[in-house]
Parts: sequence; structure tokens; C-alpha cells
Amino acid sequence: MNLEHLDLVTFHVTGSRPASGLDDVGKLTLKPALLAGYRDLTRLRYDYPLVLAAGETGEECLRSVSATIDDVLKQAAPGGLEGEALRKHTLRLEREIRSLVAQGAKATLRALWDRAAQDLASRTNEPVADNLSRARDALTVDGEVIDCDATAPAKLITHAWAADHRRKARAFLKDVNTLIVRLTDILRADYMKSSDARTADHLKASIGTSHADVFDFKALSRVLARTAVEGSLPETRRARINWALSVLKSQRFYPDPDCRPQGETRTEPLSFTFESGAAALAAFRERLPQMVELAKAISIAELEVENRYREAKHDPVFSHFDEGALGPKDLALFPSYLVCLRLRPGDGAQSASLVELLSTGLPVKVLVQIDDILEGATLAEGQFAFGVKSLRLATMAVGLNSVYVLQSSSSNLFQVRDRLIKGMAYPGPTLFSVYSGALLGAADTIPYLSAAAAMQSRAFPAFAYDPGAGPDWASRFAIDDNPQPDQDWPVQGFSYQDENRQRVAEDVAFTFVDFVACDGRHASHFARVPRARWNGAMIPVGEYLAHPPERVPERVPYLLMVDENDVLQRVIVDDRLILAARRCADMWHSLQELGGIHNSHARRLLEREKKRWDQEKERELAALRARPQPAPAARTPEAVPPAPAPAAEARAPEGAAPAPKPAAPAAAEAAEEKPSDDPYVETPRCTTCNECTQINPKMFAYNENKQAYIADPGAGTYRELVEAAESCQVSIIHPGKPRNQNEPGLEELIKRAEPFL
Amino acid sequence: MTIPATEWMSEIDDEPHLLEAYQGSLPRWCTGCGDNAILAAVQRLCRDEGLTPEKTVFVSGIGCSSRFPHYMRTYGFHGIHGRALPVAEGIKMARPDLHVFVNTGDGDCCSIGAAHWIHAIRYNMNMTVMLHDNHIYGLTKKQVSPTSPRGLRSNTTPRGAYLEPLNPLTVTLGVTNVSFVAQAVDWIPELLYDIISAAFHHKGLSFVRIIQRCPEYLPNLLDPWVQDPMRTLLLTHENGIQVSPGLAKVYKNQVRHDPSDLNKAREVASAEDPIPVGLLYWNPAVPCYDVIRQSPQLRTPDLIRAGLDSELDKFTIWPQDEPKRGQARPRARPS
Repeated sequence: MNLEHLDLVTFHVTGSRPASGLDDVGKLTLKPALLAGYRDLTRLRYDYPLVLAAGETGEECLRSVSATIDDVLKQAAPGGLEGEALRKHTLRLEREIRSLVAQGAKATLRALWDRAAQDLASRTNEPVADNLSRARDALTVDGEVIDCDATAPAKLITHAWAADHRRKARAFLKDVNTLIVRLTDILRADYMKSSDARTADHLKASIGTSHADVFDFKALSRVLARTAVEGSLPETRRARINWALSVLKSQRFYPDPDCRPQGETRTEPLSFTFESGAAALAAFRERLPQMVELAKAISIAELEVENRYREAKHDPVFSHFDEGALGPKDLALFPSYLVCLRLRPGDGAQSASLVELLSTGLPVKVLVQIDDILEGATLAEGQFAFGVKSLRLATMAVGLNSVYVLQSSSSNLFQVRDRLIKGMAYPGPTLFSVYSGALLGAADTIPYLSAAAAMQSRAFPAFAYDPGAGPDWASRFAIDDNPQPDQDWPVQGFSYQDENRQRVAEDVAFTFVDFVACDGRHASHFARVPRARWNGAMIPVGEYLAHPPERVPERVPYLLMVDENDVLQRVIVDDRLILAARRCADMWHSLQELGGIHNSHARRLLEREKKRWDQEKERELAALRARPQPAPAARTPEAVPPAPAPAAEARAPEGAAPAPKPAAPAAAEAAEEKPSDDPYVETPRCTTCNECTQINPKMFAYNENKQAYIADPGAGTYRELVEAAESCQVSIIHPGKPRNQNEPGLEELIKRAEPFL
Repeated sequence: MTIPATEWMSEIDDEPHLLEAYQGSLPRWCTGCGDNAILAAVQRLCRDEGLTPEKTVFVSGIGCSSRFPHYMRTYGFHGIHGRALPVAEGIKMARPDLHVFVNTGDGDCCSIGAAHWIHAIRYNMNMTVMLHDNHIYGLTKKQVSPTSPRGLRSNTTPRGAYLEPLNPLTVTLGVTNVSFVAQAVDWIPELLYDIISAAFHHKGLSFVRIIQRCPEYLPNLLDPWVQDPMRTLLLTHENGIQVSPGLAKVYKNQVRHDPSDLNKAREVASAEDPIPVGLLYWNPAVPCYDVIRQSPQLRTPDLIRAGLDSELDKFTIWPQDEPKRGQARPRARPS
């Protein structure tokens, strides 16, 4: 090993830089080579900025500005050259909006559109105003526009929660308002039967003013009194309906849009957003009696409007209707409780109380926003497991089994919006664990890039655990949202020009080390190697990590980075960071296994089964080899004889063979059809035509299906039986033999009965 | 139900219904009339499905068959000649929670009500339509109907009917959005029940033509079919009607017919002898107008009143708006 390389190895092992030769990256502005193309995000069309679409529910409540602009162009811009100017201007406007948002503008999409359109028009001589105004007409979405910053996760989750809250409110109020109308109808119908409703004054009020003079309401009242219907609602029922109505009308869980009459004072709906888990839990406990009362009132109302309330049976049930009677499905009708938190250093106690809250199974939706996943990773603490702290909460929640967990960096939230919406609608508790990428006090970091890098590098992998999706891990757990989930590190193609201006393309893995390299606080783990000192013993970090640690370190891992002028640099990495990267990979492997990728149990099982199969085949092969080889002549007769047999079998059904088979049923049929001496009716074929029952209703009667049978053969004469058989249009009455041999005209009757025996 | 507990609580009081619970006044149909068989089958269906009478409504037009609602102890609307279907559609629109049945005859449906029939098929609203087809106007004592056989002498055709009868099945199967078409005969009550039951369970308009006897005015017309089981062709399929072993012994003329095949259904429907009996066509995917047009708006008394007022205002002449000489007549005041 030459001395120059020894310097590199020394840095790698000890982390201390020699006085000269290796540069301190803290003083340089370097960024991982794969991020070279992302210096100015306003020039790129990506998920952010997002529009928090007002009034929408489901996935539609979150829209990216680019997709919205695409929709506008599809609507407003004609195809081909004709629409080219409109497309060009609108896309320029989109970039303008991006710039405004990146500068910190906070407004709705329409407001930003107008501002950007004005700016654009003032800077250019092109006639953009007309095109932009046409495009704006096609804009159907509006809402606050947010960028990927420190406030984005909370805004986005709160918006999705509000959309879900609206969806729930709509369904709930539809049911409750219908119940209110129908209960009121019952009371009104009862009132209309009362004498109060029949008074002349009341009748006059119900006619209207235009033609009131032509009626004599007193006379009308007298007439109506004569035809009045007796009876009114029992007092207990009326009281029950009134109670249910008052509870339904005074509910404060959802806002009451239009059901209440004008003038009646409206009560403010309850708030369901909280700043701590403890506050949410306290509110839930405080509101529980109201929830029980409301659920009880709805249930009573549902029974009442269907007229199915039976006091003897239902009173005892409702007298014991308490918290215990509320099941998860009942709870799902009520609003969920939203808690948005930012996890800060030393928040261990809060994490513990959160886990406790989630374990209650109540419908809480908790956002835990993490701004820094590399904090605390210093030598002083002897801890290199970056990210462990932040991951702990989400994995603990998964361990609770009944919590919906979604972990994602904020850059990816738009992509996982379907999971986010599902998590909101999940009837139990939900935890959203989000890394914002917005490090406090770090002005030069771009949150979107930090967040995306954290997910790319497996430092903050995305996963979702949906307990409602099925009974097993395969259906519940997903890590598909990560890039290249079956790889240790995602690999991207990277091309550059070398010193001879030749294009070089290579695959570069984006590792945990790349992510740490973005963070200036950890510059001490890196050292830039001047180009002159590059050598073959330096290998890319991705490759280095793929091998087990070397006993005697000879090779040094390096990272490809670019400086401000986009010049490629090699930066070597110390061993402590490599150790942390290995830990990160190890945690990623655990997640992969849970997600069904490279699952060790499945692999072992596969190996075992393969081994068993191999052994079995070996045995079979050995048995075949051990068998004495039969002479080729002897084999032919053995093989030939079975052939005619199936052929004969196949031909058999065509021939006479099946004939004996139906013989048995035929005989049974004959036995069934043997004429009976007793009269009978083929009841299932009766068409209820009343012919026989009119001849003798005592002899012929209808069964529970209103079909005729002989109820009493002795209730009439043989003549009646024969006449019934003759008049039956479907000929299903069989008179049998006469019971009374002395009946007059019997001989003729027996003759007439013959066709019906 | 909003609260899951209501479901089991509403069933606490469930007691099995008897067929008599659905029996209204005593039928006045002639002895031997096929309507009796249809009534018995429908009452049996109501009992077996446990339909609550207050949630069930029978709508009819005019004719023998249209007396049906009187004989059911449920809600009923014995309406206007040929207009059973639009009335039923209105009911379904306003009260989607009701089970709606329509009983109409060959004159009521295929003659005066033909326009409504075609559009009702196209609207495909969820209801069970039974066409009682006895091939004659019976209530008015024997006049030809659109389905009367050619040559039939009646009070309106003393020299015999001039035209070939209309085939209600082929007409129905030719209308856009048709979703359920079956044919039954009153003299095989077991199949009549099975077919009406299948029709009831179909979500959409189920059209069942029931060929029935009129013992008073056409006493022997259908005898050849009633007496010879081979002249009835049973359509069987696992997605259609299955024939019991007992019935199969009598009715041996069977064919396997896939009810999802519209072209085949049209072919089967065109054949009149032997009479095809069973499910000809079934497509559960056809959209229902009552679902498409379901209003999310709550029908409060105020809303209904406002709607009625605005409709009535279109026809109201306001006295104070009387025209002065030489002026045009006042128009309806806008609501």
C-alpha cells in the first residue's frame, strides 16, 4: 500500500483527516451526483406544489399543480398547432406559479394564477392575457396551494381529514335528517287527526289567502268532525319520538346544514382537531355520553319510523344502552379525532402516551411529523443507528395490530394519497408517520429533496399497514411505494462527460451515505479526494456495502458528488458512517421480509421443499435404475392390451349398455303411477281456480300455499269427486274408487271417472 | 340502518307471516280464471319473502287483471287505463324503499298503454311487472285485444280478428335497456312462483308475461297446451329457472337456455308453439333510472310544498292580472 492510499485508508478507519491532501467537504458545496439535476425545482414539473382542492372528497381532494394544468390544457387547448400558443403560455404560467410558491406566496390556486398572469403579462410583449384567461375558464379546481415545506404534512393531513369528515357528515346527516323528517311526519299525521287541526281557524290557515273567502270553514270543520278517525298516538310513543327528535336535532358532532327551521338558534359543532393525544382522549371521554345518547336516539328513531318499536321488547334493551353497546361500527359513524404533532428531541414521553392512545382502538388520526432523522447520531452518544428513534413509533404502532400505519416522507405523500384517504376512512386508529425534510434552522436545504432523498436511501422507508385489508401480513403490509423495493439500494443510471469530453454512463446506487452527505452537519464523515489521487482501490459506496466488512481495510468506499460547477468529485467515507449505512440496510431487510421480499422463512421453506423434492426424485431414479431391464419384445404386449379397454368403454354409452340403467327408475315410476283407490289431488299443480272448492268446500280445501287438497273424502259424494275431476282445468283431481257402494248412478260415475284414475 | 344494533332489534318482533295476512277482499274473478293462480303465487311470494304490507304496493290499470290490488292486503293503486306503469314509476321515484309490483293486462299494457310500456322498459326502474295475458278483453265482455289470435270472433270482430297477434316478448326484448324478460303460464303454478320470485329479486324492471286462461270467453283456446305437456318448452339454466324432478317428469320438453344471450332470447321468444316458459333474458348490469336520478335532496314538507306550488302556479290564473282590453292574456306567474 503506498503512502498516499494509506492516507485514504486512515481517514476511512479513524475519521481523521491528514493535514493536507484530503479536503474538508464542510467548506465545499457538494451534493450527491444523482441530485445534480435538481438544483432549480421551479423548472421541473413534479408533484409539488399541491392544490388542497376545496370541497372535494376522496383522492380528488389532493391535486398536483402540474396535473391540474394538464387537465386545463386538455379542456381548453385545441389539438395541433392551433392550441400551441395557449399550451406554451399556460406552461409558462405554471412555472411562474411555482416560483411564486417557492418564494413563499400563500394563496389559493386562482389567486396565484391571477398574480402570475399579471406578472407574466407585464414582462412579455406576447399577447398572453387572452390565452391565459381562456385557460383559466377551464380551471375547475381551487384551493390553497402548498409547497413541500415544514408545514406541508400538517396542512395536507388536516385537509384530507376534513375531506373525510365532510364525507362522513354527508352520510350521517342524510340519515339523521331523513329520520327527523319522518319522525316529524308521524307527529304531524297524529296532529292532523286531532280536533285542534279541524278547527275553522286552522282550516282557514291551511287554504291560503287567495280564495279563503269562498269557503265556509265552520261548515267544513263540522263535516270533518263527523268523519274523524278515532285514536291517537299513545303518550309513551309520542314522548319517545319527541325525545329522539330533540336529541337528533341538538347533535353537535356534525354541522347541521339546512334541516333546522329558520330562526332557530344553531349550536356550534364540536371541534375534532387537537394538539395532543391526551387532549383528544379527554375530549373523547367527555363526549362519550353524548355519543351513546345520539346512537340510542338514532336506533329508536329507526325503529319508530318503521313502526317496529315494541315497548315490551325494546324498552329493556334501551334502558341498558350504554357505552358498552357502542361497537366499532357505531363509533365509525362519528367523527374521528385528528392530532397533528411534530416530534422533537426528547419527546419520549409523548411517544409513549401516543402509543397508549393508539392502543385504545378509538378513531384517532395521528400525524407524527419528523423533521430530523439524523439528530443524535453523534459519537458522544455511542449511537450510530440513524433514524431508529423516528422509526420506532411507527413500528410499535404496527405491533399493536389494529392500527392503520402509513409511513412516508412528505415528498411522497401525493403518491400515496390513496393510502392516506384509506387511513382516514379506516374505522380504528391511524398513525401517519411523515418525514418533512425541513430541518429547523437549515436554510440551504430544500425540504422536498431531503424528504425524497430520505426515502430513496432507505433512511426513511415508506410502508403501509392496513389491518382492514385482510387477515394476514401479505394483504396488510406493503412496501411497494419505495423505489425498487426488491433492491438493497435503488440504482439509477448516471451519465457524465469525462476529461476527454466523452460520455460515460454508469449505474449509481443511492445509499444511506448519499442521504447523510446532503446534511452539512455530518461533513466530518467525508473527505474529498483530489482527482490526482483517485486510484483503483477506491470503490463506490454501493458496491462496498454489498460486501461484508473487510478484516484488513484496503479498499476505501467513495461517493460520487458534484460541486457548484457540476464537476464530478469523489468523496471518501469514514467507517462509522459505513457502519450506520449497514445498520440502515439491515433495518430495510427486516422491512423487506415483512413485505414479502426476500422473506427468510419462505426461502428456508423453499430450500427444504426443493431438497425434499430432489431427494424424492433421486430415490425414484435409483429405484428405476435398480429395476431389471425388461426385454424390448416383452414390453409391447404389456402396453397394448389396455388400449382396447377404454375404447370399448367409450363406445358403450352409444350402444345398448345404458338401457338396463333407467329400467329401475322406470319401474319405480310405474309403481308411483299405479292408480290409487283413494281420491287425491296433485296439489303442487293446482292453479287455485276455485272450481273444486265451489263444488264442495268441505271436501276440497286450500293448503297454506292456497293450493287444493282433499280435506275430507267423506265430506261429499263420489259424484262430487267425479264432477270436480271433470271441471278441473288442469286435470289434477283423481277420484279413486267410490267409498259408498250404494251411491245412486255409481256405474255411470265409475265410467266417467276412468280417464282421471 | 345507521346503527347496526337496530338491525337485530327490528327483527326481535319478526313473526312468520301467513299467506292470509296478504289476502285482501274476496276475488271476484270467474271460477277457473288464471288470475287466481297469479294471485296465489304472488301472495305466497310476499309471505316467503316476509314483505311488510305497508312497504309493498301493487299498481294496476283497468281490466280483469287490474282488480289485483283489491285482493292484496298491501298498499295498492287501481289506476287509469293503460297508465299503471307511469304511476308505478312515480311511486318508485318518490318512495324507493317500497316494493313495487305492477299488474296489467294485454289490453291495458299492449294497447292503450303501449307507449308507457316501451318507455318503462327503457327506464328500467326497479319493479316487478306482470302482464296477465288472457288474449281478450274480459271485463267488457269479449272484445279482441292486441294479443288475440287471428280469426277470433268477438264483439268487435264478428267476422274474426284480421291481424296476427302482437308478441309482447319480442316487443319487450327489442327495447333498449331491457333487463329481465320471462314467460310463465298460469297452469304450471310451481314455475309461475319460481319465475315471479326470480323477477322480484331482479334489480331493475322485470317483465313477466303470464299466459292465462279465460274460462268465460275463451274457454278452450289454450286446452291443447294445457293438456299436452310436450307443447310447453321449459327453458332451464343455472342462471335462470331450474325445474324440480317432480315437474320434470311431467314436462319433459326442456331446453338449456342461457338468459344472458339476447339474440337467442329473441329467437326463443318468437317461437309460439311449443310455448317457451322460463327466463328468456336477464342482464343485471343495466342501469336503473330510479338510481340514476335519485335526488340527494331531502324531501322535507317545505320542499314538497314548494315543488307543488311551483307546478300549480303554472296553471293558475291570477285574478289581479286580468288583461285590460286589447292586451294579451296573462301568462302563468313565474314561481
